[in-house]
Amino acid sequence: MTPLQNKVAELFENGTINLMIGFKSALNKLPVPFFFDSVSRVEDLIFTPECKGNLSVYLQKTEVKQAKKVGILANISTLRSLVQLTSENQLGDIEKTVLTINTQNEVEVFENMDEVETYVQANFPEYSEEDKKLLEQLNSMTRDERWQYWTDQFSSCVKCYACRAVCPMCYCPSCTVECNQPQWIKVSSETTGNLEWHTIKAMHLAGRCINCGECGRICPVGIPVHLLTAQMNLDIEKEFGAKTGFSCKSGYALNTFKTGDKEQFIK
Amino acid sequence: MEIKNIKSSDIPAFFNQLIKQGKVVMAPVLKKSGKVFFEQVQSYSQVASDYIQTGFSAKSVVFPKVEVLFSYTKTEEGIELKDSIADIPETIVWGLRPCDGSAFNYMTEFFLRENPDTYYAARKEKTTLIAVSCPKADDACFCTSVDLNPGSTSGSDILLTIMGEDIYVEVMTEKGKAAVENSASLFTVSEEKDKEEFLAKIDVKFSLDEIKEKIKNAYDSAEWKNVSMGCFGCGACAFSCPTCTCFDIQDEGTQNKGQRLRCWDSCGFGLFTKHSSGHNPKTNQTERRRQRLLHKFKYSVENLDIVSCVGCGRCIRVCPAHLNIFENILSVTASSIER
Repeated sequence: MTPLQNKVAELFENGTINLMIGFKSALNKLPVPFFFDSVSRVEDLIFTPECKGNLSVYLQKTEVKQAKKVGILANISTLRSLVQLTSENQLGDIEKTVLTINTQNEVEVFENMDEVETYVQANFPEYSEEDKKLLEQLNSMTRDERWQYWTDQFSSCVKCYACRAVCPMCYCPSCTVECNQPQWIKVSSETTGNLEWHTIKAMHLAGRCINCGECGRICPVGIPVHLLTAQMNLDIEKEFGAKTGFSCKSGYALNTFKTGDKEQFIK
Repeated sequence: MEIKNIKSSDIPAFFNQLIKQGKVVMAPVLKKSGKVFFEQVQSYSQVASDYIQTGFSAKSVVFPKVEVLFSYTKTEEGIELKDSIADIPETIVWGLRPCDGSAFNYMTEFFLRENPDTYYAARKEKTTLIAVSCPKADDACFCTSVDLNPGSTSGSDILLTIMGEDIYVEVMTEKGKAAVENSASLFTVSEEKDKEEFLAKIDVKFSLDEIKEKIKNAYDSAEWKNVSMGCFGCGACAFSCPTCTCFDIQDEGTQNKGQRLRCWDSCGFGLFTKHSSGHNPKTNQTERRRQRLLHKFKYSVENLDIVSCVGCGRCIRVCPAHLNIFENILSVTASSIER
């Protein structure tokens, strides 16, 4: 057994957890999220660089909340989500044990969210080179060109809502797209309605998105949808000095008033 | 069936002749995202040359993601209704894989066996399928496990198999004959050839007969939870699937002008089977995913005598959680024997 598997087995045996959210390897070698409910399958648990998925999404599942004592295997994106979710008071009812493989390649079990926060702040991820390049391209466009770019992109959206489903910050139990009285968002997929949907999603995530990039990575038609919130995070950091998924205590920028906030926008 | 041969250098001429006839030709196109999708093309030069499988299937030709069923306009004389069936064009689907071709067998049974769907019937009637055998596959492909193979002709009107400079042409139907007739000079008669060495090799993952038998008792398997808890509840698998047929009828418009639409839907969504009272008999994602998998391997067999999974592997490739349908089917059927 690997040190990680040993640690998780120990957590099961001493009663710290009764459910472990981790990854196992599928037949085609890709990591699949897996819910270990006892020590019996722990030997299947893996954590490789390919484990890019953000498992914190599953903390909203009823089955997970019912388990009460939950272990979660976290990559840096997941750790950031946990920090952000804590700052939004979303994790109160789960007794969670957070594990990662740290930069020294050791199993690290965090005692509490303060430790997670310290770890995240010390290992805060940069934007990927690819995203930086794409954002630069978008910012060098004129407003009209940029509008055209997103219109073209969203014309191919099929509204499978995978971008919403994988987002750890999309935790509303009932989403605006599921409301039909009134029907805020059309069910049918067509360019204008698709733009409306993605605008609403992006605005709801402004200053809350933790830049895991999952929505862009998994889009079945390849829309780099994560760039919308990635850019807004940069804007918000510039205006308010606030980073997302960085502190468990400060609320998110657009929902927090500070007397020192710049007020140039009030005219 | 007629067997012909065409030189690969003559393919563009054949293709462009189809376009010249005024037909809508849908073919795989490489997009900026690096993914390949069916799109209407104007010339052979737009067609992607190197792809294992298209991102979405060709089902949108007969079952569009949004289909206008009819539209209405209020005029001074009364209400004007417009049926959309008259607008359906003659369409060629080029370059679909044999698995997608065979998916049309299920689609046709589903839409036409009882209470025939006039929209599907009209679109299918006007569609010709020119499939291309698979010279290569990836580890999501599993057609050989569902009684198909990379050179299956079932469901397609024509199947092209690339054999070096020669393309082996199997013309399966009258529609297929009509498509080659206009370019008759490009084709020569060929003897029957063994395609095997030109086809991708795909391991058989399971015995379909065994799975069909075992899955009958799999409904209560505890393994469903293990294979489904990771499901995020999006519609990526259903929308990319060549045989998923769930739809949602929507009315859009005002009292003066509007349309009735048929939109793709998915059994993975939380609204699936939700009653207007707010109650939903499917209480969680595990039950929804079980529905999808049992539909493919059990319900469609019971109702239409067809396994409605064609092994195209799309749901495996697009799943945000990398859930793997054949692995999951193996798990739930293995556990059903133990019970």
